[in-house]
Amino acid sequence: MSTQGGGGAGNVGMYVGRDMLAAVPEERRDDYLQLVQEISDLKYQLGVEVARQLPRLFQEQDDEAIERYLDQVRAIAEVGWKSGVEVAKQLPDLYHAPDPSIADAYVEIVTEATVGAPDDEETQAFAAELEDLERQLREIEPKQQRATELKSLLAARDRRDERRRKHAQELAAALPPILARLRPKHRDCYMREVRLVASADPEAALEAANTMLDLLNGERVSHDGAAEWVRRGLDVLEKNKEVGRGYFRMGSKYSLEVLEELREGLALRQVARVLKLYATALSGRDVAVRGIDEMDSVDRFGPDHIILPADMRFFEDDDRNFVAYKVAAAHGAARIEFGTYRFTLDEIPDTVAELTTKYGLGAA
Amino acid sequence: MAVETQKMEDYRLEEEPYYLPVGNEVELFTAAYEAHLPVMLKGPTGCGKTRFVEHMSWKLGRTLVTVGCHEDLTASDLVGKYTLRGDETVWQDGPLTTAVKAGGIAYLDEIVEARKDTTVVIHPLTDDRRILPLEKKGEVVQAPLEFQLVISYNPGYQSVLKDLKHSTKQRFVALEFDYPEASLEEEIVKQESGVDGDVAERLVKVAEKVRNLRTHGLEEGVSTRLLVYAGQLIQGGVEPLAACEATICRPITDDLEMQRSILELVNTQF
Repeated sequence: MSTQGGGGAGNVGMYVGRDMLAAVPEERRDDYLQLVQEISDLKYQLGVEVARQLPRLFQEQDDEAIERYLDQVRAIAEVGWKSGVEVAKQLPDLYHAPDPSIADAYVEIVTEATVGAPDDEETQAFAAELEDLERQLREIEPKQQRATELKSLLAARDRRDERRRKHAQELAAALPPILARLRPKHRDCYMREVRLVASADPEAALEAANTMLDLLNGERVSHDGAAEWVRRGLDVLEKNKEVGRGYFRMGSKYSLEVLEELREGLALRQVARVLKLYATALSGRDVAVRGIDEMDSVDRFGPDHIILPADMRFFEDDDRNFVAYKVAAAHGAARIEFGTYRFTLDEIPDTVAELTTKYGLGAA
Repeated sequence: MAVETQKMEDYRLEEEPYYLPVGNEVELFTAAYEAHLPVMLKGPTGCGKTRFVEHMSWKLGRTLVTVGCHEDLTASDLVGKYTLRGDETVWQDGPLTTAVKAGGIAYLDEIVEARKDTTVVIHPLTDDRRILPLEKKGEVVQAPLEFQLVISYNPGYQSVLKDLKHSTKQRFVALEFDYPEASLEEEIVKQESGVDGDVAERLVKVAEKVRNLRTHGLEEGVSTRLLVYAGQLIQGGVEPLAACEATICRPITDDLEMQRSILELVNTQF
């Protein structure tokens, strides 16, 4: 296939075979292609048929016949393209009939047959009503979709509200025992921050309530630090509820990072083993180092425990805070080594005797 | 067939090795030597076992052949073997045979590290026979009265599999070594490294404290040898902290927290 006919021919190459174009006189090929293009714009099948028939009309070099042919094809195509294709095929032969009026009569018959009798009023009314209903249906379709969406959204919110009420109930049960364990000095800060989380998501508030208790009681974060930790958690919660709950549970890396960032001073857990080894070496006894937040689980007066603050914040830098820990650990090691708390009532007579011997009667 | 024997001059000590007795070990060793009894030295690494043997060797006027035992050491490595020298087969005495023939002191250091067949070889040398059979050569060497067998091992890190058999242990007079008491250790550190008494005292205090960690993650405490190394570095101009880090903290543990805690102990002293 080839268009060969110049720039205005468009997709006419789809309908015009090389042999058809070759059959058209060279000087008329552009005209041929343009006419085929024009008819095919009306209907592709019409273009195909006209492309087949036009070369013989161009060969006859009868422009009037060409114009007449195209007019009649256009006219019949207007009322029915399928009839138009058949007419386009037959017309050139009819132009050569002995009676030149036969072609026109043929076109009129086919046109009337295609158009048919005019519709009655009832048919026209049916058609108009149908058209109107279809228009209304088209208009209502987006509304139906939106209604479905809204139903889903409302159902999800119902389920969410139900969960919210359930978690609010759990929070109501959980808070009193937590508050009983909270140190009074942290109460205002604790209530303020937990309230913020609770208003955003009661389930996250349950997590935050427990975590904040440990953070504040364990002195792991200041009140300002706690507020900042909650603020950043609420940002996370707003973007993703599940991730936010993980944050307040301290189950996310980000949560720990934020806490580390907000932490003031040196955390005992970072240096606990070094201090334990240090104190063990100094005292020659098996020493356990515990944070002040672990006091519940330790016999604090036991000879083998050294209780230290969970964070050391005396100084700006960690090196000096470590030295402070070291001093405290050395003090604890000395207490263990020399038995400060290893005193029993049974020892009193011996102690009195020893002091009397050492310092005289006044000492006892 | 030729026989090669190592020159005993190679084993002769030219100068008196420094050794500060920590108990009655010198008397016991001397008595054992005079009674022709083999001696076993037990104690942690770097506490002075080898130096003690060197000292006694010099004191008794005997040559000392020391063999550092290892897991690939065989009986042939100890007693000797045939080797090819050109077209000739030559018998090469092992260090134990050399010591026996020369009437010196054979010191098998860390004997439990050696293969089991080596302990069988030394048995005839440790009872009243005092002989060394050279099976491959079809010869038996009678140990002269001056010969003495000394073995050492460190019970601290021997596993059950590597412990000495009782049939071996009970052939020896055992001398137990440990780190010297503080004043003696200070003297040793001073003498061996050249540091003054104050530095020696501080180093020994560090060692005392570190040795408290022996049941808390350290396999062994700081040896006197390492204290001497630390003293030598300090005497050479290295800052005490850096010297102790290089000679005390790093050699005895790879545990970074343990290293740090030891360094803090050093910090406390220096």
